[in-house]
Amino acid sequence: MNFEKIREILFCEAKKAGLSEFDVYLRMEESHSAEALNREPSAFSSSKSGGVSLRVSVDGRLGAAATECFEEEELAALVSRALANARVTDADEEPIFYGDFTNTEYSKPTVEPMSIPTAAELRHTALALQEEMYGESELVTDGTTSETGASKVTVSIANAKGLSLSHTASMHYAYAKAIIRDGEEPSYGTANSTELDPALSGIAKKAVDEAKARLGAVNLQTGKYDVIFSAKQVRSLLSAYARIFSGKRALQGLSLLKGKEGEVVASPAVTLYDDPFYKDNPMQMPFDAEGVATYKKALIEGGVLKTLLYDLTYAKKAGVVSTGNAARGYADPVSISHFCLSLAAGELSFHDLLKRLGDGIYITEMKGLHSGADAVTGDFSIESAGFLVKNGQLAAPVHSFTVAGNFFDLLKAVDALSDRVETGLPGFSMIAAPDMLVRGLSCAGES
Amino acid sequence: MIAKALLEELLSIAVSTGGDFAEVFAERERSSRIHFVSGKVESVRDLVIAGVGIRVFCGTKTYYASTSDTSREGLLACAASVAGAVGDASYRRAITLTPDAVARHTHVRRAPDSVPALEKTELLREACIAARQTDSRISQVDGSYMDVSRHFLVANTEGLCREDDKVRTRLAVSAIASDGVENQSGFYGPGGGVGIEFFERVSPREVGERAAKQALTNLGASYCPAGKMTVAIENGFGGVIFHEACGHSLEASSVGIGASQMAGKLGEMIANPKVTAIDDGTIAGGWGSYHMDDEGNPASRIVLIENGVLKNYMVDRLGSRRMSMPMTGSSRRENYRYEPTSRMTNTFIDNGPDRNEDIIASIEYGLYARAMGGGSVNPLTGEFNFSVKEGYLVRNGKICEAVRGASLIGTGADILKNIDMVGQNLATGQGVCGSSSGSVPTDVGQPLIRVNNITVGGRS
Repeated sequence: MNFEKIREILFCEAKKAGLSEFDVYLRMEESHSAEALNREPSAFSSSKSGGVSLRVSVDGRLGAAATECFEEEELAALVSRALANARVTDADEEPIFYGDFTNTEYSKPTVEPMSIPTAAELRHTALALQEEMYGESELVTDGTTSETGASKVTVSIANAKGLSLSHTASMHYAYAKAIIRDGEEPSYGTANSTELDPALSGIAKKAVDEAKARLGAVNLQTGKYDVIFSAKQVRSLLSAYARIFSGKRALQGLSLLKGKEGEVVASPAVTLYDDPFYKDNPMQMPFDAEGVATYKKALIEGGVLKTLLYDLTYAKKAGVVSTGNAARGYADPVSISHFCLSLAAGELSFHDLLKRLGDGIYITEMKGLHSGADAVTGDFSIESAGFLVKNGQLAAPVHSFTVAGNFFDLLKAVDALSDRVETGLPGFSMIAAPDMLVRGLSCAGES
Repeated sequence: MIAKALLEELLSIAVSTGGDFAEVFAERERSSRIHFVSGKVESVRDLVIAGVGIRVFCGTKTYYASTSDTSREGLLACAASVAGAVGDASYRRAITLTPDAVARHTHVRRAPDSVPALEKTELLREACIAARQTDSRISQVDGSYMDVSRHFLVANTEGLCREDDKVRTRLAVSAIASDGVENQSGFYGPGGGVGIEFFERVSPREVGERAAKQALTNLGASYCPAGKMTVAIENGFGGVIFHEACGHSLEASSVGIGASQMAGKLGEMIANPKVTAIDDGTIAGGWGSYHMDDEGNPASRIVLIENGVLKNYMVDRLGSRRMSMPMTGSSRRENYRYEPTSRMTNTFIDNGPDRNEDIIASIEYGLYARAMGGGSVNPLTGEFNFSVKEGYLVRNGKICEAVRGASLIGTGADILKNIDMVGQNLATGQGVCGSSSGSVPTDVGQPLIRVNNITVGGRS
């Protein structure tokens, strides 16, 4: 069943129930991937799924219900389910359905949707990644995996005010995980790319190099260190703390950035954007989950907080306009999210950043951010690994120590950023960031 | 859910191109989640998911396709797509299914679908208001009520055809305490593999108060000192230490491809002799329990470690092929979109020989971790990390001031040997475990244990 038909049925049923304020959100996804293990194809999977959500306004209360079943009877039941849910929700402010779309200019994505490769093409590239990893080093061994895949998402929104939007975005991805064993010592390295062809992405070499570099790691002496977080780890940190920019969480008292617009919240080296049309983001969306146009905006500029992110409801509460950051799947209520966080590059080459560090640690791995990083307090205590840096030169690898601190303090302690920006695997919320030098962090290893 | 004749046709198509085994998994699940924040019921999430996943094996290679289009045409297209990925051959063999059922251990008395949303809302409201009223420094309360009712079917080319139901219910409260300068959080979220009767034994008020008290404890706490020390980890969710540090390394998904530190160690002494660890999917009403796993095999009670000796792994169908070991009823998936794999259910360290008071009294200087947060592990090296949600310093055998911001790190192999005292107050806590087959409810558990010489990450 296509969107027009689903919309027609739901609009008709909603009107029959006497409703005048409602919207319909449909999301259809298709994804395919091939995996290889130990130089053999090991798995193939494909998935086609989708669901539709109906939101209604009854006596100033919002109710919603969703289903993956598109039979007429199921769709009709969405109306009564949404009505029942509206009745138990506490009235807050009148739900808002976007009506200002007639004068809106929606930006055009800078990337075209890509075609989905065949099963054979995906299998071939996954195997080619295996061969490249095994070819890189004799230490590469069993457990070495690779995966290539592609996905396509179509989002459609319509509301009773006449809004009707639809957009399709797609992406390719490749992932390599090299397992190596030097005598009894195991090690691993990972890398990923949005380029399927291993010859172009170079991720096989990256994964094996990372695994080799970790061999022979020593323990770290507990103490205070100056630290460079690798670009990949800066992305992890930003991802774990992205919620602090939500205007909703600020109003709820769950973000310490509440009321800090215009104030210095970071070192002058820090400029952070939310840029839905970032050049390396294949999943660009011209409108958000409420139909508001998306656009590039600075969150922090030269250390000063410029804005938080808003949807229609929380923009109204805060007395500002929506920043086009409403997000949702068909199952969930509207939330607020960035599209693509982009931390602006600094001026130093990585080599010069090491020199500026002098003595300290280069952190290339952080684990358990989902539990070890608290977005409410900003506190983090994270299992990490990386390299000692001595006199501006990379030295021995170090493993299994924790780095602890507070993200809000860390933003202010940023000393410098490198000029090499790395981009994370996309979704609707990707992140781009350079390496980051921070002074004076507590690291616990050997006492 | 799907007529037997159509299931047989789908299986026949799926293995027609060279596969040696095929399986159809069909599911319909209704879930609701009510969210309470800032003193109000903010939203109700109400979702029906319905779909089918078809899996084909060629030896140890797997092919999987899933669809939410459950029309006859949609299902036939799904079977053809997975068969097409296997190869070009075409040989149709007849499949005959023999429907039967597995034994049931849990009988739901009040199915979530039969209870009005208003009653669920009031349970949540009671918990959140109780949290707020605990102390004037509680500045925010964020609570969720959640229930899931899942009906699913598994059929395969060996003739197996079984259907089952699984229900679970949970209430979770997160409280924020603020003194105007800093925020600290507390959390408590009990759940069970039962219906709304869960609240006959769990008081919503106590759930709220417990979350609030944890936040208040942390508000007054100073930062935890860093370094190696002796740590006593309390029962219940403290069992996350075993789940992360050892449990994942005993899943066939990592053992079967050699990517586990525990591979090839059956029969070896891998832990202190005081440690016996069990994964038991048959506990009536357990958060991680089920009657049959997502491959149609009955749930079981698996002794993983007995008196320190590694006895068994958790093995799914693919792992069984890779490891030449019997399946253990451990195959799970979040929903039809995921290919299933070996997962934990209710996993715990069993009661041991030591009295709890002796454990604390034995520590000259160390950390008492009363409540644990989540964590993660690398199954290859066994390196793990997890956060301490509520901790206290221990001096001269006495629990002293609260400390915050601590995390515990180490390797599974080391910590198993360093658990040198095991107490007697076994209890479980509820978690949601994420892995390649999605997020599934898992219980973790243990009595109070003492771990000698573990690295504590802290800031002072």
